[in-house]
Amino acid sequence: MNMLPPVIVQRPHGHPTFTEQTVCPALDFARVHLIKDKDGIDDYLAKNIKGLSKQEAAACRNSYKKNICIDMLRQGYHKSFSELFTLIQKWNALREAAGPGSAIWQQKSLEEQPDKLDQLYHFLTRAEAAQRAGHYEEVYNNQLNLAYCFNDSEGKWLRNYFYEQCFNTAQLIKIDGGKKEAQAHANMGLINEEQGNIMKAAEHYEAFYELTVGSTWKDETGRTYNSLACEHLWKIYTVLADKMLEVKEHQQAIKTLIKALKMAKEGGDMKMEGEAAYCLGLTYHFAGEEQTAIPILNTSVKIFTALCDSAGLGRAYEAIAKILVSQGKVAETVTYLEEFVKAAENAHLSGSLVDACVLLGNLCNERGYYNEAFEYFSRAFEAANTLSSLPLVDETKTYYGIARAHKMMVAVNNHTEAADLVSMKYLLAWKENRSDMCTDLLTVELNKETSASNPL
Amino acid sequence: MAAAAAAAVGPRGGRRGCELCGAAARRCCARCGLAYYCDVDHQKADWVSIHERICQLLIPIHTSLPFYSSEKERKHGTEQLLNRQKHIIDLAYSTAQKFILEGKPGKAIPAGLQALRFSIRVYGSYSVDVVPAYLVLAEACIGAGCLTQATTYLSQAQWIVLKTPDCSPAVQYKLHRDLGLLYAAKGNLEQSVHHLANDIYLASCAFGPNTIQTAGGYFHMANIFLRQNKMDIVNSLYAEVTAIWHAFLVRSVQTQEQILKSQAEASPFDEDGEAGKDHLTEAQQAEAIQALNAILDFREQAPKQQPAETAKVLHSLAMLYYLSMDLSKAQEVGVKAFDLVKQLPQQESLEAIDHLLKLINSKPFHKK
Repeated sequence: MNMLPPVIVQRPHGHPTFTEQTVCPALDFARVHLIKDKDGIDDYLAKNIKGLSKQEAAACRNSYKKNICIDMLRQGYHKSFSELFTLIQKWNALREAAGPGSAIWQQKSLEEQPDKLDQLYHFLTRAEAAQRAGHYEEVYNNQLNLAYCFNDSEGKWLRNYFYEQCFNTAQLIKIDGGKKEAQAHANMGLINEEQGNIMKAAEHYEAFYELTVGSTWKDETGRTYNSLACEHLWKIYTVLADKMLEVKEHQQAIKTLIKALKMAKEGGDMKMEGEAAYCLGLTYHFAGEEQTAIPILNTSVKIFTALCDSAGLGRAYEAIAKILVSQGKVAETVTYLEEFVKAAENAHLSGSLVDACVLLGNLCNERGYYNEAFEYFSRAFEAANTLSSLPLVDETKTYYGIARAHKMMVAVNNHTEAADLVSMKYLLAWKENRSDMCTDLLTVELNKETSASNPL
Repeated sequence: MAAAAAAAVGPRGGRRGCELCGAAARRCCARCGLAYYCDVDHQKADWVSIHERICQLLIPIHTSLPFYSSEKERKHGTEQLLNRQKHIIDLAYSTAQKFILEGKPGKAIPAGLQALRFSIRVYGSYSVDVVPAYLVLAEACIGAGCLTQATTYLSQAQWIVLKTPDCSPAVQYKLHRDLGLLYAAKGNLEQSVHHLANDIYLASCAFGPNTIQTAGGYFHMANIFLRQNKMDIVNSLYAEVTAIWHAFLVRSVQTQEQILKSQAEASPFDEDGEAGKDHLTEAQQAEAIQALNAILDFREQAPKQQPAETAKVLHSLAMLYYLSMDLSKAQEVGVKAFDLVKQLPQQESLEAIDHLLKLINSKPFHKK
């Protein structure tokens, strides 16, 4: 009957046949045939041949987000579920609102980031379990961990959201005497400061301060919470005062800066105190209260000298010099700045020496004492050279050049005004060889002779 | 009866089968002459369930279409037929649902069968539109204790949903809720929770995580955890259900009040435009009453009393009764809630309850 050769049936590769998947040894496999009843076979299959259960099959079909949500719900973590669900929706809404091309659009949506979902799952469920058991401290820790998870720019709103959650939880923690609450206030202050809500940030920092007064709590680096609070408050008060100065509310700004100074003193950080004093002094100056300004600036000078802080010193002296000049006490200013020069030399602060010389040079320059200005600027230039800071060298170089030009200008003007033959000769000679020493008559003549005797 | 009910589903062959069980028919409805039964019991059961309502409606459907001479008339004719069939589906479906809500699941089965039969005829056996009929039948069967039948119907529905990739979550969540209830009835709590979790997830996708549609899933899930004796989870889930209903009912009462006000001011012909938005269907109302009463029982019998939570449940119930016009019950529950809140340290809800009691007493409610 077979007219044609038998066809060789080819099976596609890559699909292992069912028997290959059995994990049971060959001897046991033979027993299958002995099992007559269906239940027995089903039972045998379920035990020995690993297939997928209905739930496992569904898990393969679903998205990762759905699986995570369902896993949470199965264990009864419904709050975690609704929180996660709402956050994903909000993220997507933000993306839609920002539109294509924005930063958040470039980034994947939350449901496409399995690692983020895992973190959320882990900490949210643990927080909920702790909440059920009434362990609010643990709830707080888990929420704080979540806040740490979202520290990149796109996830910032999530970080802020969890900081707020922490804050709400911290209100419920009573047993630790308010340590967590203080922490939460500090964090809230930070995010408000970042968002530009200065008043709100100040309120939180004040609460942080109130809670830490008299406590011995320390952070991971060993710093006390209280000094941390002082620093935050000092910073925020300074920012606040700055805002007030922008709208010319001098008295308000002074009040705020006095608070800042108090905080800086309490915080025990000398640098902070110096800065606070400097800002306050400057503000008194803006408000026209020069008499009050100078002593406060002097304290900041003292602090900065003790700290060898040349940048601070420069600013403080500059402010004082300005005040003195504005009061017309030029001579006093010069002696004052001379003191600064001496102090800087004694302390071997080249940076401050540059500052001092530049200040003095400018002062002389403005008043037409070009020779003195030239002296000071050359000293500044020398000092800057020892510092090997290129921008500073360039800056002082320019000053030096200007002073030199000014100095020469006097001589050139004199000759031009005299308009006699000798003067003309000098001018001509100077123009020919472009020496920067126009004033020096002898040099000019000497130069002339040498150049004449040696015709090239 | 229900055991063989599936046999009757589907197109009938030349031989007439019983409407309910599909066995050889010996009787026929004398009024329409279209429904056949194997015995008197089945005829009676069908009559009280659904046939009484659709007897006369069947006649125009079963008579063959007259000969139309124009394309337009033919089109109109088929459209009319389709609309009549759809009307029967709606009628049978809502009747079945009503019986289930009234706690008579046995009576719901013939109506459900009728809905299924016509759904298949109109939409085809594998259309998603058939799923609601399967679900209502399954619910009736679970209620009547016919779990094997319920399993069959739900498996059919699940298969249809699986084969329809773009099936909307609004349909899917109901399927999973019924599957959850089925497994709960069978005692397979683990499977039950899995399906209820799916239910909650899908309902959240369709309506949002804090809506009354999701509250149902939470409630059933809490009941499962109650059977597993996981009290802390039950507690938190019940609180969630209460919170969802409470928020929803507060909104509903506010809109109701606004409608009453605008009706008092404007002419009575003004149609309530936004009333439909937050309006409760009868099924939702029944579900809420069931859920809230169960939670109330749980709260009142709990070893550790949480008066604030109990008061919230009572407040919700009072609002619910008020909205469903059951004023005497609303009054009773409202007063209970009021007394309870008065003993609490924080009394922020006292004002709201007081306001509600005034509303109940003023009663300027016209009949719906």
